[in-house]
Amino acid sequence: MFALCSIFMVGCVSDVKKEAQDEAANADSAAANRIMTIGGNMFSIPSPIQTALLIEKSGAEYDKKFLNDPKKSTTYATIYQKALNLGVYGADVGYVTIYDQSQDALKYLGVINKLADELGITGAFDEQTIKRFESNFGKRDSMLSLVSVAYRNSDAFLKENDRMNVGALILAGGWIETLYFSTQLAAKSGNKDIINRIGEQKYTLNNIVKMLTPYYDQPEYDALVDELIELSYDFDAIDIKYTYGPSTVDVATKTTTINSKTEVIITKEHLKGIAARVEKLRNKIVG
Amino acid sequence: MRTIIIAILVSFAFAANVSAQCDSIASICSKNITAKYISDGQSYRALLNGEEVAEFKATFYGGSTYRIAACSGFTAGNLIFSIYDEDRNLLYSSSDYKNASYWDFKFASTVDCTVEAKLNSNNLKSGCAAMVIGFK
Repeated sequence: MFALCSIFMVGCVSDVKKEAQDEAANADSAAANRIMTIGGNMFSIPSPIQTALLIEKSGAEYDKKFLNDPKKSTTYATIYQKALNLGVYGADVGYVTIYDQSQDALKYLGVINKLADELGITGAFDEQTIKRFESNFGKRDSMLSLVSVAYRNSDAFLKENDRMNVGALILAGGWIETLYFSTQLAAKSGNKDIINRIGEQKYTLNNIVKMLTPYYDQPEYDALVDELIELSYDFDAIDIKYTYGPSTVDVATKTTTINSKTEVIITKEHLKGIAARVEKLRNKIVG
Repeated sequence: MRTIIIAILVSFAFAANVSAQCDSIASICSKNITAKYISDGQSYRALLNGEEVAEFKATFYGGSTYRIAACSGFTAGNLIFSIYDEDRNLLYSSSDYKNASYWDFKFASTVDCTVEAKLNSNNLKSGCAAMVIGFK
């Protein structure tokens, strides 16, 4: 049975790799033509701030040891390393801001500014952003809003300049860092809401793999996609039951309430396996 | 040869113009994400012609309220957006609400969705579609 499963898994990975190579070839020709997707697919990756807010709400204390040391930013040499860690530091600055650690947040903004500059991202993170951030000390939502808008401007800049691969790495880095926080905390606290949030990442992981797959033939991307595919096998063990419920609408407030329900079923063993693989991947990224 | 060079220059100028137009539309659209909302940090754009549909996958977390804004051209109501769940049930379509350029969504539970956007063919034949998402 194990042998059969192994053969099946190898077949699956090889199919995904073949698909990845085909998509990479298609992406090259598409990129040569246009800077924007034309009738194609895009992916929305949830903001790392949302899960950081859930972590704070769970009552978990601020823990610096989960974060990537800002000093490591000088060791990232390639575009790949810089982009992934720009995403990692983005998740970190969200986390420290939520916990009102303004001085730490400033340190992170400093390295974000530096990495963005090295990646040639202009008009998103600059001295002005840092000054505005400082002038909003104590106003958590305003500070989070400033950081998020800066990341949105960076995403827009990269899409306009046909550098979607860099944008995809930034999003992937932020997602991996947030999943790292969550799995470390879940192992410690066993908080049900955080565990459910980890299970829900099955959807996002699928989108991240699809988002990165067109760049599979670029150096370093292949290893990352392979590791994310391995992680998706761990996530396959999570059962998500979805039940549709009709939406309700309040036209006066322009609000629709989506009443559908999702139930996440995840065992301790699966959680442990995911936590171990995420820790290994995250540590490889931050160095 | 001269014709080819002119054609290349014209296409570059067109691309630069479309990109600048897209920037302006996205910037106007982002004003719908008011101070109560935090941006999701992404910018969704597509150049659409005729009946083309731009789509993206999104996971919306339970317990959050999202604001989605959709714009094309420089007036409201030019872009129609719809949200479907994983079973292709229609959860919302702006066409049911006078092509509202933004709408809020309260998610009782986390739902994996597909967001689709197309031009309002009565107003535009082609153009840049820009969408932004905020949450609270």
